[in-house]
Amino acid sequence: MIKTPLCDLLGIEYPIFQGGMAWIADASLAAAVSNAGGLGIIAAMNANAQWLREEIAKTRQLTDRIFGVNIMLMSPFADEVADVVIEEGVKVVVTGAGNPGKYMKKWLAAGIKVIPVVPSVAMAKLLARSGASALIAEGGESGGHVGDLTTMALVPQVVDAVEIPVLAAGGIADGRQVAAAFMLGACGVQVGTRFLVAKECTVHQNYKDKILKAHDIDTVVTGKRLGHPVRALRNNFTKEFARLEQSASVTDEEIERFGAGSLRLAAREGDVKQGSVMAGQVASMVTKEQPAAEIIQEMFTQAEEVLKGATKWVK
Amino acid sequence: MEVLEKVIKVLAEYKEVDASTITADTTFEELELDSLDTVDLVMELENEFGITIEMEDQKLSTVGDIAALVEKSLA
Repeated sequence: MIKTPLCDLLGIEYPIFQGGMAWIADASLAAAVSNAGGLGIIAAMNANAQWLREEIAKTRQLTDRIFGVNIMLMSPFADEVADVVIEEGVKVVVTGAGNPGKYMKKWLAAGIKVIPVVPSVAMAKLLARSGASALIAEGGESGGHVGDLTTMALVPQVVDAVEIPVLAAGGIADGRQVAAAFMLGACGVQVGTRFLVAKECTVHQNYKDKILKAHDIDTVVTGKRLGHPVRALRNNFTKEFARLEQSASVTDEEIERFGAGSLRLAAREGDVKQGSVMAGQVASMVTKEQPAAEIIQEMFTQAEEVLKGATKWVK
Repeated sequence: MEVLEKVIKVLAEYKEVDASTITADTTFEELELDSLDTVDLVMELENEFGITIEMEDQKLSTVGDIAALVEKSLA
């Protein structure tokens, strides 16, 4: 069995978070992961207070266990969903895409454990100081919005910079990668891509099929020009996006407009040609649909084996 | 040394540009500093001035903004 300080901090069985993937991480997936002993997370993404309240209520019908909400700080509804998590008594808030500074005080006062995703050491230090309970150091191998540093380089540097527990994210799909994350000093992992194909994940089947068929070299990063790079599987959408980005005659606004709604199109409507199929570099390691519980058990059984054998080269 | 002057000096070193090209009105955009760079820079300034800077909801867009924040932290 693998137990880390993160398990004690949150009262979870396995030190694993399910990533707060927009348009994908809903009550169904979050509850399945929490029921399996991890921390399920609802993605508040660009949704409003009403949607989040309903999703929290649905999650509570499906599980008695702890779960979290991911708040994307760039969302136009960030202010209102920041209040919903307090009113609804959510225990854990994960933040992405920015500095949650302005909400920290009220969340902490409400007893919420705040666990921000950080892409750099300076951000890690700043948020640890502001009262974060733990941090998620996410490398650029991950899907969706990405930073420049890799998980291998970022995790140990964040671990050295702060005293609180650090989770590793980006590039983690099996037990070997979980074990490696522990070797880098993390005491937990956040996993997105592998949960995309969980039985309980309500993303469109076409999206799942596209992940299941992906090869190692199939993801690309677009959006650098706009200042928010995104990793997704290569398709017509990413090709056209890259072409627009390279064209000097196309304005940033035109590119933004082209990209708007593309994730929803792929995730909910199943248009995996013209939509954005966000996924991490480990998409090719994800080869079958399984219940979330099986995914977690498989990852941690393998991690345990790997960690037990970790001394084999030490003479 | 005045706060603004010192902030400009730190910035000039950080960006490896001539300090004379930076004024209070220079924007982060002109210096090609994104939000992550800004946090990194704030940490640099904390070390330089031996202070703790509260970063909550300030809109930091110019060198003058950040100098004002440093002055507030020094007060």
